[in-house]
Amino acid sequence: MRIDAALTALLALAAVASAQDTSSKQAPAQRPQTLYQKLMAAGNTGGPAPRRDFTGSWAGPLTPSYVDVPPLTPAGEKLFNLNFPDPFSPSSNDPWGVCDPFGFPRSATTETRGISFAQMPGRMVIMTQYGRIWRTVWMDGRELPRNVGAKGGPDTTWYGYSAGHWDGDYTLVVNTTGLDDKTWIDRRGYPHSVDLRVEERYTRLDHDTLDLALTIDDPKIYTKPFVLAKNRFKWIPNQEDEEQLCVPSEAIEYRKLIVVPADQDQAKGKK
Amino acid sequence: MKPCCVVFLALFMICVPVFAHHGNTAYDTSKVVVLKDGKVTQYVWANPHVIITFDVKDDKGNVQHWSAEAGTPQTVVLAGWSKTSVQKGDVITVYIFQAKTGNPVGRLNKIVLADGTELRDSALGYREGGGEGKQ
Repeated sequence: MRIDAALTALLALAAVASAQDTSSKQAPAQRPQTLYQKLMAAGNTGGPAPRRDFTGSWAGPLTPSYVDVPPLTPAGEKLFNLNFPDPFSPSSNDPWGVCDPFGFPRSATTETRGISFAQMPGRMVIMTQYGRIWRTVWMDGRELPRNVGAKGGPDTTWYGYSAGHWDGDYTLVVNTTGLDDKTWIDRRGYPHSVDLRVEERYTRLDHDTLDLALTIDDPKIYTKPFVLAKNRFKWIPNQEDEEQLCVPSEAIEYRKLIVVPADQDQAKGKK
Repeated sequence: MKPCCVVFLALFMICVPVFAHHGNTAYDTSKVVVLKDGKVTQYVWANPHVIITFDVKDDKGNVQHWSAEAGTPQTVVLAGWSKTSVQKGDVITVYIFQAKTGNPVGRLNKIVLADGTELRDSALGYREGGGEGKQ
């Protein structure tokens, strides 16, 4: 009975709200769509994909589809427990909160609203709109370095060392290693070791559609290799991208004015 | 299932889409607080989010310093905002979801400029709140 009463009340409220919407002077405001949402809704193919050519700028969603992470190793669990994601929480230690570089693969799993490819002799350059990042992918057959991060081996870097090849005419496979282990692999705070190897498989389905599957292989941290993220990009008709930067001074201001006084930790009952 | 849970679930279902970008759990999104005659002290066009700071007088005439956030520049642009939409010194009406902490900070529903222009937040701007009048 009481459930019925509550539901009836809710329905009545919804009806009133709906009546108010239609009777108000202006039509109810509609949330504007992003370019990506419009392109996805339009669903254009643009015709067949050109052979072995990704050159150009592509729109993506804010965040790709994350896929479930397999069990972590004990060492992985230990590291994961040290990470407190969400830069909007005052107690978070997300490196993003102070605008540290995302590093790779986080640059492909967080803020993925824009990506561009530029093909050069012997290499492919992958550019990420957020943070204006570029990565060089060697396409001339050179091998990935070994023992990166080990004593006597090459040093790790934020974006590592990448080599790629075409698998058929429409799929680009990029393998990356040599990644600094102070970065997270995604915004959920998942860690990695310097032994991490990442494989990106980009497949151009048609002229306007490019899919990505990103696979993680890091036996020190994860009990098996896994697809971390899947994403779909759409060709940008006018080829213009946006400027979107994480600026340390602005992040500090945001923290002071919003994050600390709003204190979502307290709201969530963490304190 | 108790009635309160039904209500909670219904509210949750309404709220979920707005959490797609960044959590708004810090804010009481059940009611819009209306702040009239807000005098803009700062308009920060920046990532991660646009911020407006403004002063309003409470019932006793004391000045309160508020901070309000909206979406990222890239998303509020779609709702008609620009880097020059608001200037320091502008007098605006602010519709805001205040922090649960009770501090003078919140997420915008919308602002109304002196000329009547409405600028809505990209995340929480597309729900109509009855509002709770506050000077």
